[in-house]
Amino acid sequence: MNRLLTLTAVSLYAFLHLPLLVLCAFSLNRSRFTVWEGFSLDWYRAALGDGQLMEAALNSVVVAVGATLISTAIGTLCAYGLWKRESRAFTLPLSLTLATPEIVTGVSLLAFFQWAFRYLHMQLGMHTVVLAHVSFSIAFVVMVVLARLRTFDRSLEEAALDLGATEWQAFGRVTLPNLMPGVIAAALLAFTISFDDYVITSMVAGVDSETLPMALYAMARRGANPAVNAVSTVMVVGLGALILVSERLRKR
Amino acid sequence: MRGLRELCLAPAAAVLAALFAAPMGILAAYSLMTRGAYGGVATPFTLEGWRRMADALYVAVLIKSFVVAGISTALCVLLGFPLALFIARAGARKNLYLALVMLPFWTSFLIRTYAWMFLLRDTGLVNTVLLGLGLIHEPLPLLYNWGAVILGLVYGYLPFVVLPLYASLERQDPALEETAADLGARPVETLFRVTIPLCAPGLRAGAMLVFIPCLGAYLTPDLLGGGKTILMGTLIQNQFSSARDWPFGSALSLGLMALVTALLWMQARRKGETLP
Amino acid sequence: MTRRRILFLMGVAGPAGCSRRNRLRLNVLNWPTYIDGGALARFEAETGIGVRQATYESNEEMLARVMTGNSGWDVVFPSNYFIPPMREMGLLARLDRSRLRNLSYLDERFQAPGWDGGLEWCAPFVWGGAGILFDGRVRPAPTGWRDLWDGRYRGRMTMLDDSGEVLGAALKILGHSLNSTSESELRGAYELALRQKPLLRAYLNAEVRDQVVAGDVLAAQSWATTAQQAMDAAPHLGFAYPREGFSLYADCAAVLRESRRGELAHRFIDYILRPEIAAGLVEKARTATANAGARALLGAKAAGLPALYPDAETLERGEWFAPMPAGAQRLRDRLWTELKSA
Repeated sequence: MNRLLTLTAVSLYAFLHLPLLVLCAFSLNRSRFTVWEGFSLDWYRAALGDGQLMEAALNSVVVAVGATLISTAIGTLCAYGLWKRESRAFTLPLSLTLATPEIVTGVSLLAFFQWAFRYLHMQLGMHTVVLAHVSFSIAFVVMVVLARLRTFDRSLEEAALDLGATEWQAFGRVTLPNLMPGVIAAALLAFTISFDDYVITSMVAGVDSETLPMALYAMARRGANPAVNAVSTVMVVGLGALILVSERLRKR
Repeated sequence: MRGLRELCLAPAAAVLAALFAAPMGILAAYSLMTRGAYGGVATPFTLEGWRRMADALYVAVLIKSFVVAGISTALCVLLGFPLALFIARAGARKNLYLALVMLPFWTSFLIRTYAWMFLLRDTGLVNTVLLGLGLIHEPLPLLYNWGAVILGLVYGYLPFVVLPLYASLERQDPALEETAADLGARPVETLFRVTIPLCAPGLRAGAMLVFIPCLGAYLTPDLLGGGKTILMGTLIQNQFSSARDWPFGSALSLGLMALVTALLWMQARRKGETLP
Repeated sequence: MTRRRILFLMGVAGPAGCSRRNRLRLNVLNWPTYIDGGALARFEAETGIGVRQATYESNEEMLARVMTGNSGWDVVFPSNYFIPPMREMGLLARLDRSRLRNLSYLDERFQAPGWDGGLEWCAPFVWGGAGILFDGRVRPAPTGWRDLWDGRYRGRMTMLDDSGEVLGAALKILGHSLNSTSESELRGAYELALRQKPLLRAYLNAEVRDQVVAGDVLAAQSWATTAQQAMDAAPHLGFAYPREGFSLYADCAAVLRESRRGELAHRFIDYILRPEIAAGLVEKARTATANAGARALLGAKAAGLPALYPDAETLERGEWFAPMPAGAQRLRDRLWTELKSA
């Protein structure tokens, strides 16, 4: 049984990482096309030397980290509140944010921002992108954390209360630590969808907030450009290394 | 108990009111207006956008979208469950394995889709390998069909089912399964009688996180399906781009959302519990 | 570079963009690949004006982003058939021709174009058309849209994923204008397109390029610029402007009325109209310049590419896209949805 499980998991990892290997390989291809011509690092040079691209990458990280922190905090609290007592006033709109096609979220948020900013004398920018990302990732966070909470034994928290803990203490010392794996999973999901979003971001981005998916989209759509593969590879290797290091540090 | 719960819900309420309810209000207003000639909306108010939805052409598109989303969701759950179980049982390495699931998604989705196009096309990797091994003599038509669309959706949404499943499986005490085994249950029995029922909340959340966004998915089906078919997401996208019919696009998306609401409500009624 | 980074980080930490306020800045919303970073850097070095450029995928997307008039963008590049509607919507600022001396370098055809006879609202920048990109090893080579209805490319042929172009090609076969608004003509075009669908591998835009180069696809309806990029890589490919007629478009620089940096915008447009700059830009983007001065500077080889610069006789068969009235647009979209669903 266990061996079968491992085998399945390994093949699923292969499935997930196959396209990654392909784009990695083509980032090292001399040709501009998806036909192998020989090894070259030119695309990395082109990508790293492109100031605007690097700025877009930085923007993306800033937006994704900001949106992840905000939506994970708000979403976790919301899930906890809902776990205490369900409320359709929350679960329904949350599910509906999932059911909204991206373009519709984009257009309606753009209309809302443009309307509100006319009175506030503000313009679209990083803040609108972060807000938009919070709005669509919060439902993911709530669902993942709630899935975790529903397997959590209520009596643990009640025991803490019986032993004289305040509500806050019970939440902070008993429930939250137990929730952590769910919170981490939710944060990972929020970060990923924020980091990868193109359709909504391109609608609500202002003049100073081009993100990496927007830059890559522009480069790729009108003529595949292996520099795009190079950037993606650097991003994946960089973030992968970051996770490895943080895992190591955590274990110490 | 009341104070803490309300306090916990307040920020989410603020976000939902400002960034969901208000934009949706604007959208509802759009759906009742007349199309501007080049996008945007104009007066007078009309119900035409809603009326046009009943057209058999658009109903067929909707049904097709439900079927595709349903198949993709089923496959995602089928594949996601063993992966989540594996990660949940990985002990100290579980966060690392979890991150490995997400890693491919930190590249741009367009680039991933292009990579799949390269893998699946006639002169692509899969066909080249199969031809080289002598297993086939003609390249298989792997790209630009329903299979490719569903493959793309399953690939793109697999993490969405793995994460909530992991979150609920990770809690499970392995001792429960050991007990079941000690009591003479076969592994399969343990799986269906113990493991799966205990992670039902995660299973349900995961299925929803896949099914609902799949209904409105747009670029993946378009690129991997070769634009030869049309699903809800593309239909709505078209209204806001080339067709320049924002009222109809707004009505279509609100209609889709109403349908999802009805489904969720029915499911909740049947199960005798609230959402999600 | 490091200083820019630090400034940028401060810009992120503080209210967005504060640290840049005192520098001259221009915000340009453009199609991808038209203007590369090198040309922008040179402009900044010459004038001290920094340019922030972002890109859009379709005219409709650009319009949605600037429609309310408080978007923050200064210069946009609408296609010719979007100039009249944007002007009517009051989104464009009138150009000051005295500040655009390089307008005189424009090709004669673009000095008084149909969509803006006096060049009061826009400066044509690049142009192109749609035709057939084909694998020359399959004989006979196609010469008209009709050939894409022929069984010889069955399953190895694509059309553009664009209702205007697909219906346009069918309308041309039937001898109508590609801007037709007549219901019966459009229905006829739809019937024709429906008959072609089983022969097609897919409806693809720029993505088709790699597959034509690799040999998966043998014939494709394609824009000239995509075709030229493919032909650069694979000499066995050819490009034909169909005998029945074909579509033409021109992307033009225009200043938004909301812009408070009109003067900088004019300096920027005059800069990209300068022959040596315009020549450098189209050489990289593999597209056709509307600038006769620039074309003269391109080498004989680049200026004589038949896909980018068809001869006068071929051009006669081309037809410019025109603004589409709402009713006809709705019918076209319905037919397109029907075609895709079939």
